[in-house]
Parts: sequence; C-alpha cells; structure tokens
Amino acid sequence: MSAIASSPVQRNRKLSSRTVFGALQHVYIWIWLVLFALPFVVTILRSIQDVDGGHSFAAYQQVFESYRGNLWFSVKVTVITIIINLLVSIPGAYAIVRYTVPGKRFVLSLLNLALYTPGAVAGISLVITYSYLFHIPRTTTGLVGAYVVGTYPLMLVPIIVALRDLPQVYEEAARTLGANRAQSLFRVELPLLGPGISAGILLTFVIVFNEFLVTLFIAGPHTTTAALTVYNLTRTGFLPSTAALAAAMQLISFLVVLLFFRTFGSRYLKGTFLI
Amino acid sequence: MARVRLEQITKRYGATVAVDRVSADIREGEFITLLGPSGCGKTTTLRMVAGLIDLTEGHILFDDQVVNNIPTHRRNIGLAFQSHALFPHLSVAKNVAFGLEVRGGMSKGARNARVTEMLEMMELTGFEERVPAQLSGGQQQRVALARMLATDPRVLLFDEPLSALDRNLRDTLKYSILALQRRTKKTAIYVTHDQSEAFAISDRIFVMNKGKIEQAGTQLDIYLRPQSEFVANFVGDNNALRGEIISISENGADGRTAVVSANGYTLSAFCPPDVAVGDNVLAFVRPENIHVLSETDGRGDPTVVEGTIEQIVFEGPTVRITVDAKGFPLKVNVGGAERLTLIEGGQRTVRLKLDEVTLVKSNGVTL
Repeated sequence: MSAIASSPVQRNRKLSSRTVFGALQHVYIWIWLVLFALPFVVTILRSIQDVDGGHSFAAYQQVFESYRGNLWFSVKVTVITIIINLLVSIPGAYAIVRYTVPGKRFVLSLLNLALYTPGAVAGISLVITYSYLFHIPRTTTGLVGAYVVGTYPLMLVPIIVALRDLPQVYEEAARTLGANRAQSLFRVELPLLGPGISAGILLTFVIVFNEFLVTLFIAGPHTTTAALTVYNLTRTGFLPSTAALAAAMQLISFLVVLLFFRTFGSRYLKGTFLI
Repeated sequence: MARVRLEQITKRYGATVAVDRVSADIREGEFITLLGPSGCGKTTTLRMVAGLIDLTEGHILFDDQVVNNIPTHRRNIGLAFQSHALFPHLSVAKNVAFGLEVRGGMSKGARNARVTEMLEMMELTGFEERVPAQLSGGQQQRVALARMLATDPRVLLFDEPLSALDRNLRDTLKYSILALQRRTKKTAIYVTHDQSEAFAISDRIFVMNKGKIEQAGTQLDIYLRPQSEFVANFVGDNNALRGEIISISENGADGRTAVVSANGYTLSAFCPPDVAVGDNVLAFVRPENIHVLSETDGRGDPTVVEGTIEQIVFEGPTVRITVDAKGFPLKVNVGGAERLTLIEGGQRTVRLKLDEVTLVKSNGVTL
C-alpha cells in the first residue's frame, strides 16, 4: 500500500531533478559558446564604430581601398599552397597506403613532425634555410614554400585515411573493364577519395589563409599577407579599420567554409569527421 | 569466346604455395567451376586469369596467345566480384557505360544504345539514373553483370558473385547467370565454395584443395565417382567408413566388385582400378543411399546392418536419422511416406541396406 502511495511523489522528484540537470547542460554549453564567439563579436562591433561614437561601415570601405592587395595576396598564396599540397599528398598517400615502404610508420611520424613544431621554431629554421641555401626569403616562392612545409600533413593525413577506407576492388573493377592506370585514377579513385581531399583542402585553406607566425619570419615588404597586416596595424593602436580587416578575414574564412560545405558537403563530406 | 588454358600455373607467397601447378583446358564456350573450401587457391587462380595477380610459374593462354604479360585492362575479360564493386559515385547507366567509355572508339549514340540493350537484358530498364546505394543487393549484382557484359569480353570470370546475397536471390540469380552464359556462348570460369551453385551451372567442376586440383569432371563424376578422400567428403554429405578389401570379383564389362570389411560391416562396392585385395580403403556411403528395410526384407543378406536410432530430425522433404550401428554413427536420409512412418512409429531399431558404396584408396590420414 505504502509503496503505491509514494510512487507518484518519487516520480515527480525524479522528473524535476532531470529537468534541472537538463537546464544545467544547456547553460554549460551556452557559456562556452558565448566565450568562443565573444572575441569575434567584439571585433565586429569595434569595426563598425565611428570616431564620433556612431556606427558605420566606413572602416570596411577603407579596408577595401587600402588592404585589398593584402587580402588578394593571401588568397593567392593559399590557393597555390593548396595546389602544391595536393600534388605532393595524393601520390604520397598512394605510396604509403598501397605499397610496402620500409619503415612506413617511422616515415609517417616524421612527415607529421611539421604539425608539432612550434611556429617560431619553424619560422627560424625556414629563415636560415631560405637565406643561406636557396636565397628566397621575402619572396612569394619562399612564403608558399614555408606554407607547404608547414601544412602538407593536413592534406596528407585525410587522404591517407580516405585511401585506407577505399576498397581496392573499385580499382580492380575499373582495370577489368579496360581502364588503364590513369583512367582508373581519374575516373574512379580520385572521385571516391573526394571526402579526404575535400577535408585536406578545407584544413589547408583555413590554416594558411590565417597563418601569421611563420609568415612573420618569412614575409617581406612586398609579400605581406592580410594576417600579417592585421598584426602590423595593431602595433599602431586598435583602429576600427584594423578590426574591420580582421573581421573581413574572419568573414572570408567563414564564407569559404560555408560555401564548401554547401557545395561539396552532402557529396564528399558525408561520413567524415567534418560532418 | 576463347579457349582458356592454364598450364602448370603456380603462385607462391614466400614459402606459402597458394596455387600449386594447376592445369586446365577450358573449351570455347564452356562453363567451368572452381569449387573448394576457403583458402584452397580458387580465387587466386581466378585472379591470375584476370591478371590481377602475377604468376610465379606457368602459363595462361587465351586461344593460342600467352597472356601472362598482358595487363588486366587489355585482356578483354569480364569479372564479377563478390561485393559487385559498382562504382558508388556513378549512376547505373554510367556504371554500365564505364568499360565502353574507357576503351573508346564508340560514338555516344552507340554507347547509349549498348547501355540500354544491356539494361533491358538484365531487366533493369528505368533504373538508369539511380546510384548503386539506391538498389537492392540483387539489382546491384544484375547491374554488375550488365556492366561486365557491355564490353563484350572474351572470357567471363565470376568470383563468388552470389555469396553476399540471401538464399532465394542466389537461387534465381545462378540460373540467370547460366542463361546469360548460354546465350552469349562465352567461356566462363566461376569460383564458389557452394556446391549447389557449382552443380547447377557448370559443364565441368574442378574441385580444389590446398592449391591443387583434386578432381575435374562433370557433376556425375564428382558426386558419384569421387577419386579422393577430400572430394568424397567435401562434395555432398557422406558416411566414411575405414576398411579393408577382402575379395575382388570380375564382373565382365561392368568392371570389378569388391567386398569390403569396414567397422564390422560387410559391404559390396564397385572396385576402382588401383585397388587390390588387402588394401586399406575408405568406403563412402551417401545418406540418401542408405535404405531402411522392413522386418522381412533382406533376411540372410550379409550386407544388411542393424542399429538403434539415436536421433530423428524432420527436415521437410526428408528425415535425417542418426543410427548407432556397431558403435559407428551412420547418417541416413529417409524420404517419402517412409519418413512419416518412422517419425510416428516410435521405432527404436532399424535394419539398413547400404547402396552405391564408393571406395577410395586410403592415404592413411585419419578422418
């Protein structure tokens, strides 16, 4: 009898504790979201502030007039880096996954070393190498070279993962149907490696477009990227135009990622860690 | 359409011999099956014919041309994979057109006409624009067959194409494959571990074990006249009794009949040519060739065996009984009305007549 009488009360208590816990979970998530987004929001607010205390987009106009070159240069070196990364990583991943390379594990961890090297260390090393060995510091070549060295594992690793998951039977089927090596590669394997390649392109873009530390060491007066310009400008104070440039970069990154997901997302990124 | 000859083909991986001096002469338009348990080398053999694996030794000939050094894409073969291997990013029509496109030399119109023809043949009209993921397992395998036939290959190769499908589909598709081969009159090599598939579709069956061909022949040869212990055990269900030849009598044109003493039974059997009195042999009796006798039948026949029923399992068309006869369990299939009598009768003992006993010279290996 008593058990029956007490059961609704117990259920109520259970329900309310669950509600409280659920609410706490939401609060927890929102705290982090706000903390993450806050700097960007503040930057954007600062960028639309006028000298007289009002709001306008005048700073953006200034960015477009003065720093258009830097933004364009950033896009250019990023695209070149992505292309070189692809040319290095696709054959590289193929060799690592499909063939027996002696000391494969060692080679692979060596290749990934670039990801664990502190930016300043990489910068110094590259300056020394480029100045004394290749004589290409402060050039676009030097800058792209530095980016490739620093970011090709970001391209290589997703392609390796995708290639490992790609059964060899598709390649074999293509061969039995009369496709030669190149036809099988371009018509079957590369399209099926889409998820890996897409992930690699996306990661390389986000990292290289916004790269600053290594750039600081390598870039010269004629090879100043947008990210470096932002840094240079902050040394003269936090003007709205500086904030506007930073916000513009943020916006470009965001738009590229968004566009990428919209265009390729459903086709190439399904089932990857990105979607 | 080509005659395919395998001459002593061998594949070694280090010290392991995957395929050991396999030879076969496959006539133009013949449908043969490589039948064997997993790891017997049948798939490796097929993949060597396809050019996906290089030979260690031996030759493969299509008609009179040695193809050892011709790469897969120029061998003009069609291969059906177990996993069907349809390109997941291409539509059904594009999958079927793939071989025609990469080979070139065909106008777009002709290509489309060929694709339509193939899809019609495989009853896939209306599925052109679907992608493989939107098809059922059976449809996928039919697309794979259409894709393989579109380029009009010289030789058809099948690598367990049905083993990923459910039983009913397998039964339907194996007859479709046979019908296709008969219609196109192409030489075909089919790899399977499923003997019912092999029996249904082959002109000849090559039973493989441990990288070697144990026996090659028609379904009847393989089933009724197994030449080795392995074949007798692997193909169909069998009771294996170890025994010794007591006497051999000549039967004129029919050959010789041997009397065998095995596990305390006396059996009469057709005697293979390589066996003499005193030899150790294995006597095989299929469960369906053991007949339950009535009380009065076979009195005084020394080959009649008596035993107690240990287990009765109703399997639908037949009843499988396990009979303990002189300490040896015999598997017996009983069909027809007899099976119902047996189940409902509550009988404890049976008298059995063992027919069509096959003898294989024992190689001394215990079963």
